[in-house]
Amino acid sequence: MKAQAKLLLAVGLLVALGGGMAAYKSMKLGVPFWQGDGVDEWLIEARVSFLATGRDVKARLALPAIAMERGGGQESGSLDYSFSVEDNKGEYTAFWSSGPREEGQALYYRVRFKEGLDSGGEPKPAFEKPNPPDVPRLPGSLGAAANSIVTKAKNVSADPDSLFVTLFKQIHSAEASQEYLIVKRHYEKEDSANPGIAMGIDLLGLAGVTARPAYGVRLSDQNSGQAPVPLIEYYDGAFWKVRDPAEPTKIPDGRELFVWHRGGGALLDDVTGGENSRVTFTVAKDRIPLATLTDLRDSPLLVSTILALPVSERAVFRYIVLIPLGAFVVVLLRNIVGISTLGTFMPVLLALALLEIKPLTGIIMFSILVGAGLWFRFLLSRMNLLVVPRVAACVVIVTLLMMLMSVVSYQLGIDAGIKITLFPMIIIAWTLERMSLIWEEEGKRNAITQVAGSVFVAVCAYHFMKVSQIQYWAFYFPEMLLILLAGILLIGRYTGYRLSELIRFKSFSNG
Amino acid sequence: MADAPVIADERTVTFGHRWWHRWFRTPGELHELGVVGINMRNARFLLPNNPRRLYELVDNKLRTKALAEEHGMNVAETYGVVRNPHDANRVEKFLGGNDAFVIKPTRGSGGKGVLVIDGKNGENFVKPSGAEVTPGDLRNHVTNILAGLFSLGGKRDYALIEYRVRPAALLTALSFQGAPDIRVVTLHGYPVMAMLRASTKESDGRSNLHQGALGIGIDIATGITVRAIHHGKPVTTHPDLGIELVGVQIPEWDTILHMAVTCQEMTGLGYLGVDIMIDETKGPLMIEVNARPGLAIQMANGIGLLKRLEPVVAEHRRHPIADLHSKITFSRNHFRAKLPPARM
Repeated sequence: MKAQAKLLLAVGLLVALGGGMAAYKSMKLGVPFWQGDGVDEWLIEARVSFLATGRDVKARLALPAIAMERGGGQESGSLDYSFSVEDNKGEYTAFWSSGPREEGQALYYRVRFKEGLDSGGEPKPAFEKPNPPDVPRLPGSLGAAANSIVTKAKNVSADPDSLFVTLFKQIHSAEASQEYLIVKRHYEKEDSANPGIAMGIDLLGLAGVTARPAYGVRLSDQNSGQAPVPLIEYYDGAFWKVRDPAEPTKIPDGRELFVWHRGGGALLDDVTGGENSRVTFTVAKDRIPLATLTDLRDSPLLVSTILALPVSERAVFRYIVLIPLGAFVVVLLRNIVGISTLGTFMPVLLALALLEIKPLTGIIMFSILVGAGLWFRFLLSRMNLLVVPRVAACVVIVTLLMMLMSVVSYQLGIDAGIKITLFPMIIIAWTLERMSLIWEEEGKRNAITQVAGSVFVAVCAYHFMKVSQIQYWAFYFPEMLLILLAGILLIGRYTGYRLSELIRFKSFSNG
Repeated sequence: MADAPVIADERTVTFGHRWWHRWFRTPGELHELGVVGINMRNARFLLPNNPRRLYELVDNKLRTKALAEEHGMNVAETYGVVRNPHDANRVEKFLGGNDAFVIKPTRGSGGKGVLVIDGKNGENFVKPSGAEVTPGDLRNHVTNILAGLFSLGGKRDYALIEYRVRPAALLTALSFQGAPDIRVVTLHGYPVMAMLRASTKESDGRSNLHQGALGIGIDIATGITVRAIHHGKPVTTHPDLGIELVGVQIPEWDTILHMAVTCQEMTGLGYLGVDIMIDETKGPLMIEVNARPGLAIQMANGIGLLKRLEPVVAEHRRHPIADLHSKITFSRNHFRAKLPPARM
């Protein structure tokens, strides 16, 4: 009974602590408790990283005018750098400088703005008519090919807009004409990073349309550390317009794409005193208004400090906070329902992989992988290998199978195949090992039941972790995990029957 | 007709047949029957009574055997222990000149890696099924044991070579090949339930119930079998041999109970299962001690374990220091089964 009292005390404390902190955050600090209640704001963090060479450092990053003017809020984060924003006739630049520095450096600039239809790429009237484009000099046959392309494109287009569409449709087309291929090859040699952009700008120039590069950010919090999306800004005679050359017919949609930099000039001026400089963007949907966020950072709640991390580091926690939720589902299904699984927490890792891959394709790929791996594992078992080399051999086989499967699925045009690498390889190797041992010792029925049980638990955990309200709580109210912990402790002392035992003992009788 | 007295707390609980009994029983019904589930076994009986550090005593058969011999218990005679790969290559030297023997991993469980040899045919060894094992196969098997192929978590292991038990004729009659063994579960040293496990054609010489072996409940008071189950369903005859399973008197029952209680005293584990085999010449031999005995034993006896564990918990609280004889007497008096007609 004493242990019972201790447990109840611990559970009570955890619930009070977790609930209390969540309530304080929600009521006093104004963090919306329900997902829908929040303001939907996008938070884009630009991260400038470079290797300092030991001299004075200066760096300039072009900033999005729209966010500066609309005043959603912005801030820079970088230790011991002097920082200022330069305003040059509506074009903003962040300027960092510092004394001599060594090793890797990271400068952050964060912009937040309300989710909306504006992408910042709206047609913008030109203050003055831009200079006619520099006509690129292309030698010999190349020049002839380029001219012929432009002439043909001009014949089928009425204005700069349709010219843009015609040209870029061809550039990105798989069956481009011979002339396009010749010109394309030339630009691929010249500028390997974005041959399409340079080629498009030059071709537009040949046709008499002034164009220049612009940069955007895809508004999706799936991939952290994305590279800037190359865009093109062109002058149609009255306005400057920004378009994504990958989707030439589409006017940039403010819900998908944010134009970070337009108006010519480089996105990141060469960093003095640094090498290998580059810009990456991390996008996060933030549901806490900036004012509240500042309060949060000053508040004494330790757990809230997760929100003070740079967005790119915070993004990692999006997945990490989901792992306890998965573990909870496993505890529930194993100890209360009584489903037997292979390995205790293998289903959680499987569920995390399913979050990335769609569950159906994920399960199909998992089955193929395990099926094929098992077959090889049986070949191995005839050789009487020792345990560790045998598992290592399984790892090699799983690796090769993964490569083979992604190549085959790519050839068949199934994109999802590439994502197979998201399956934790070591876990799959251990699954094969355990499964084949159970297969030999307890029969295939047991082995298959346990694997099916694991997949079932993984799917349940997936659906639980998928609920966006639950993700929201786990991320914005991590202290609620204490309540989850209390639940797990309670299940840990559950002495009642598992659901499966109600069936196991169905023919129990004293007869 | 043996008119044995029926103990009040075990009075048969009868439910009218309900439609759901084909599929499941409600938690209330199971509770009424005193059935113990895995959660309850772990939380109420295993975790508080079996400290982790004592597991080593029973997970390593060499230590269990040494302890048992210290306490004057009969165990299968050890012929030799192979501890390194060098010795594995000359395993014949460890047989002690015996033609019949058993090789098992010292840390195996559930009969994994056990090789039984009945005799020799020229160079080769012969298994009970008649299959022959070459000396090379034998060495391979020992090497696998040493590598940890059969031990929990793949830990390195030793190979134990010991006396091959020849089960008493009475017991072999109940089993399709394989050697039947007796499992006695004790709590605080009080025997609470016992069963005999006999193999069938389906279980292929093994005595694991979920692989199709028979579980035959034994009355603690008398050592007479009371009930048998196959795949969880009551049966009265052996599915392959057709022999009657209920009403058989297990020989040397007193010794068996004595052994079970001694195992608790020597290991200090509060809740355990003792596996015992009866040899035709040497009598009962202690084979192994299990610190996590399963729950199928209550199906074999048709009685929920809780009906037996709770009186023991109460008795243990009243008399924390009871000697072996008073424990056996308590169990025999309280756990007397309602006997079916005795078989002549």
